[in-house]
Amino acid sequence: MAKILEDLKLTIIAGVVLTVVMIFVTEAIYDSQMSAPEAAAADMMQQVN
Amino acid sequence: MDAELFLIRYLHVISGVMWIGILWYFNFVQIPSMPKIPDEQKPAIGKVIAPEALFWFRWGAFFTVFFGLALAWRSGYLVEAMTLQQPNIGIGMWLGLIMAFNVWFIIWPAQKIALGIVEADAALKPANARKAMLFSRTNTMLSIPMLASMISVQNPIM
Repeated sequence: MAKILEDLKLTIIAGVVLTVVMIFVTEAIYDSQMSAPEAAAADMMQQVN
Repeated sequence: MDAELFLIRYLHVISGVMWIGILWYFNFVQIPSMPKIPDEQKPAIGKVIAPEALFWFRWGAFFTVFFGLALAWRSGYLVEAMTLQQPNIGIGMWLGLIMAFNVWFIIWPAQKIALGIVEADAALKPANARKAMLFSRTNTMLSIPMLASMISVQNPIM
């Protein structure tokens, strides 16, 4: 970890990777909180779009 | 209520620009430039510029968190965000809190020793300078997802 943090470019790349991970984690948390009818409605909306 | 929320959000953003602006100044400008500065000129950074920048840096961090928490509380989503029932803003708030903790409890105490602001054994200075640099870099890394999380409240990413 210290090797990444000593290099500014690697630090930025790690920050971008963390951002992508955060996006998917956020989506996973939202999905886990959705009730069955809400999930069905969300699926339907995605198909319409 | 609208004017109150506007004012709190405005102060939150202004403090945040101060905090993250100086964080990025340290990491993108000052730290990479230090090896290129002649030894006789280095005290200008260590004795004058860095202590002044650290003052605005740590208080920027404090007021960003203060106004951020006030904004979440007055908007009615503080508990939902902190318990990740609203994960988009919640993850950003947790990242911001971790970063502010690093500023006040790791970076600032280490910088006080490294810059000679407090009395300490000279042998401790290099280790504390390195510790401050690594945690400052950690905050630079965390600032990228933190800002994405904050923006995603207004513009959902997915």
